Amino acid sequence: MNRRRTAALPTPVALLFLLPAAALFAVFVLYPMATALTYSLFSWRGTAQDAFVGPANFVALFTTEPYATQLPRAFGHNALLFAGAMVVQNSVGLLLAYALHHRGRLRRLFQVLYTMPYLVSPLVVGYLWSLLLSPLFGPVNAALRAVGLDAVARPWLGDPDTALWVVVLVTAWQWVGFPLLVYGAALGALDPAIEEAAMLDGASSRQRFWHVTLPLLMPVIGTVSVLTFIFSMEAFPIPYALGGSSGSPAGATDVMSLLFYRTAFHSGASNAIGISSAVAIVLFVVIVGISVLFTQWFRRVERRLT
Amino acid sequence: MSRRKTLATASAVLVALTLGACAPSADSPEPGAAAGEGCDGDAVALDVWSWRTEDVKTYEQIFDVFEQANPCITVNFQAHLNTEYDQILRTGLTGSDGPDIAQVRSYGLLQPLVEGGNLQALEDVVPALADFDDATLDGSRGREDGAVYGVPLASQTIQVYYNTAIFEEHGLEEPETWDDFIALNDTLLEHDVTPLAVGARNGWFVPTVHDALTAAQYGGADFQQALRDGATDFTDPAYVDSIQTLKDLQQYMPDDVTGVPYTDAQVLFTSEQAAMFAGGSYELAFFQDANPDLDLGVFQVPPPPGSALDHPVSAGYADGSWGLSATTEHPEEAETLLNWLATPEFGQLVADELKQFSPIPGVEFSDPLQQEMWDLYQENPAPYLLLVDYRYGDPVGTDLMGEAGQKLFLGDTDAAGAAAVIQDGLSAWWTPGE
Repeated sequence: MNRRRTAALPTPVALLFLLPAAALFAVFVLYPMATALTYSLFSWRGTAQDAFVGPANFVALFTTEPYATQLPRAFGHNALLFAGAMVVQNSVGLLLAYALHHRGRLRRLFQVLYTMPYLVSPLVVGYLWSLLLSPLFGPVNAALRAVGLDAVARPWLGDPDTALWVVVLVTAWQWVGFPLLVYGAALGALDPAIEEAAMLDGASSRQRFWHVTLPLLMPVIGTVSVLTFIFSMEAFPIPYALGGSSGSPAGATDVMSLLFYRTAFHSGASNAIGISSAVAIVLFVVIVGISVLFTQWFRRVERRLT
Repeated sequence: MSRRKTLATASAVLVALTLGACAPSADSPEPGAAAGEGCDGDAVALDVWSWRTEDVKTYEQIFDVFEQANPCITVNFQAHLNTEYDQILRTGLTGSDGPDIAQVRSYGLLQPLVEGGNLQALEDVVPALADFDDATLDGSRGREDGAVYGVPLASQTIQVYYNTAIFEEHGLEEPETWDDFIALNDTLLEHDVTPLAVGARNGWFVPTVHDALTAAQYGGADFQQALRDGATDFTDPAYVDSIQTLKDLQQYMPDDVTGVPYTDAQVLFTSEQAAMFAGGSYELAFFQDANPDLDLGVFQVPPPPGSALDHPVSAGYADGSWGLSATTEHPEEAETLLNWLATPEFGQLVADELKQFSPIPGVEFSDPLQQEMWDLYQENPAPYLLLVDYRYGDPVGTDLMGEAGQKLFLGDTDAAGAAAVIQDGLSAWWTPGE
């Protein structure tokens, strides 16, 4: 494997072309990330950088209140958001994509319809749903009561047992178009001859889906899952619109980004920048670490299947 | 840093462009047009920042008054989005493109700028500060040195609003005693009127309601002093009792109160489906705007038997002030403007044009209800305790009360448990007596 010989451009020229993008990346991505890291290694007095404290901010994050309680709680909620998104958003997205796959003209229409909520700001989506779910004036409970389902009507966002699942469902309502589009494209790229062959071998439509189509979609499922994980970890606008900066009710919808927001901009603590930078770094490490593990695991699964 | 700076600059430029595009209209002179006219020396432009994007026009008119009296100074007023303001201001004041004078937050959220050395202490710069009420100035003090870093802009008071038409319909009057208060709640409930419009889904609203209903019960300013002296903490029986009162009053609030958003509580009151609203003076403009036919009254809730105080109180707090950048290039002109911001002339404009409580001595309010709220507060003031003294660390007191109150309403904890949530949370950074 001699890469140099097969490359389209000589190395110096290639490097020259890479330079602008690399420079932009360095200035707008690497440099801010490096500063966040350095911020987290110092103690702060308001906006003024104080002494170098090494890992002290991280130690404080894991050992002192309120962070020692709030960090795991928020992280757990992010994990539930991810699990919920996988179960609801991605499986529904896949089923819809599969159902629409063979429906020529209707497919376009439904793809557009399902991806519409995309175009609305998630903050607006959150506020809309918060209005819809209001126990006083919300049409959701009114509709449930109108059809005799009084027992089901409840203060959806006021009950810690349901609030987080409302966040999951509202997020899914907005983003279901994303897996729908990606899976739709992947299904379109599959060779129809394979499914035909399975059909000729007498496989039922259920067997064809589980044993032919699904394994072939594995690489895409992997990508969608990793992206869903990243989105779930970074969730902010919808939880903020539905539960406010403190994750109402009683912290039931608190997530990592809200914790960061509170420590950075909402607290009167002197060392707010130090601690909030540490939160940001922890979040970053978790996202990168688990995404890499996920990707590797999915590659292994793919190899086993193909 | 670079990215944040770029972002901040970009938004500043955007805002400046938008303002620039909006400014030249027939009735408002273009900013800068006044400079030079009647000015003998060099004209200077001052950058003034604010988070009140909704008040830009009004502020420009207010500053026109200043510019006419000071022809050599132009005020370049810029407003940034409320939710992004703190970040933009921190970046602006630490960099070189910041404002000369800026609206700054009060109490805990002021501290990052004070500790970072971004603001100047003002006692020597603005002599009129000596005439301000001490409790108001507390909102602008640095935690460590006790110096004043802002000219107070607005105060808020917390009390109970009521719908006079609903009260009249049921033959009710402003309560003189706790028994009156309970009796009128019962009467309203019997007639299927929601007595208290409360929405507890927004955590920040819970401590407001708590102080509106029970500040006199736990002792108001006396309790604040006892906490400062280290004589007690939030598990004090008087404070626990006040939380119990909040729980006892839950029957007069909408069902599933933790699911009701604050905005729905407002609508419940303005649409005349609820008779009372426990809230801040900042609600008045919205109430009058949302339903111009609404006949409003205000009262202080009389303390229940066995309360720490024998008279009702209004809780209040300072809400924003004007700070002077430590790196301003025009200190002399900025000081001139800052001193004007402490005059009754400016205060009266704030009261008349912005409908805010200016805490500047001598200001009067044209709206009778506003004047009544202010008088009630002046007679029997109390601190909005968790905001005034307990936002200097993480977690902040108001968030803790929000969470504790939601648990209380949900039945997940009792009054003592809720008080413990607050005390335990605050103990992360606060020791009684320090």
